[in-house]
Amino acid sequence: MIVLKLFLILVLTVGFFTFAFSSKLKIVQKLSIVIGYFILFLFIVYPQYSDKVAQLFGIGAGKDLVLYITVSLTSLMNIVLYVEVKNSNKAVTRIIRDGAKKSAKLCE
Amino acid sequence: MKKNRYEVAIVIPLYNEEQVIAKVLVELKNSYPEFIIVVVDDCSSDNSYNNACVENIYLLKHIANLGQGAALQTGIEFAEEIGCKYVVTFDSDGQHNPNDIEFFIKELRKEKYDIILGSRFLGEAENMPISKRYLLKLSRLFTWMTTGIWLTDSHNGFRAINIEKFPNFEIKQNRMSHASEIISIIKTLNMRYKELPCNIRYNSYTLKKGQSMWNSINIVLDYLIGNMMK
Repeated sequence: MIVLKLFLILVLTVGFFTFAFSSKLKIVQKLSIVIGYFILFLFIVYPQYSDKVAQLFGIGAGKDLVLYITVSLTSLMNIVLYVEVKNSNKAVTRIIRDGAKKSAKLCE
Repeated sequence: MKKNRYEVAIVIPLYNEEQVIAKVLVELKNSYPEFIIVVVDDCSSDNSYNNACVENIYLLKHIANLGQGAALQTGIEFAEEIGCKYVVTFDSDGQHNPNDIEFFIKELRKEKYDIILGSRFLGEAENMPISKRYLLKLSRLFTWMTTGIWLTDSHNGFRAINIEKFPNFEIKQNRMSHASEIISIIKTLNMRYKELPCNIRYNSYTLKKGQSMWNSINIVLDYLIGNMMK
């Protein structure tokens, strides 16, 4: 169990350092990441606290709360990534298209 | 680029058709020497690009594979830039009949319609497999449900468009779902449309290169997700 907890903390910490210091994020987003990191850290080390927080939201068990939050955040992340990929595709398409038009040749 | 005054551009998206492309282009060039032919090679991995270099044909190349929709849009933009009034979209695999083009252009010249759509169900479709026939019939129901436009053939690559009147005609879906998107553009831009018969020549080559049933599901998903994320 302790190995799993250490692994989760490691993954969480890597995620934290990847996003919290990103220059692309606004201060509010960075603060949310810091708060989220400490709450999740607390839940991993002291799972019984998650039960108490879950009860505040009318959810029976802390693990259910964690599951709901995980599913919601993963879905949100998927949508954000999809939009990012779509925007990148749009930019790539424009670059390739302009290049194709510039290098158009009339065959002889 | 200097604006020329060509009336019609035939835009052909090209991807891995080295066996047939030269024949298709020579046939078109001989039938319509007065029209400009614009071929957009979508980064073919075979020798299509070199084979498509037929005299007096504009040849463009995407440096990465983007999809048929993107190739069509590149060709349409290029045709606009060289001052063409009408664009005919034509497949590169030799399944369309060049003789049909004149009827499409004749109809556009009357200025009663802004876009003419080819329909294989109004014309002849030799050797069309029964599964494809039903799939295409199902796709027109899908098109009607998503756009409100009822067509006899909603996924035909043969079209003629008045791009001078509609400079904002823009295909955004890069891959095969562009066919449904075009119907949606007709609705959005309030274009006057008409279907005309077009003859499709199915043979073992064109059937091998055509869309599979499974890919049709991908196209539908692609179109729906693309529309949701607009």
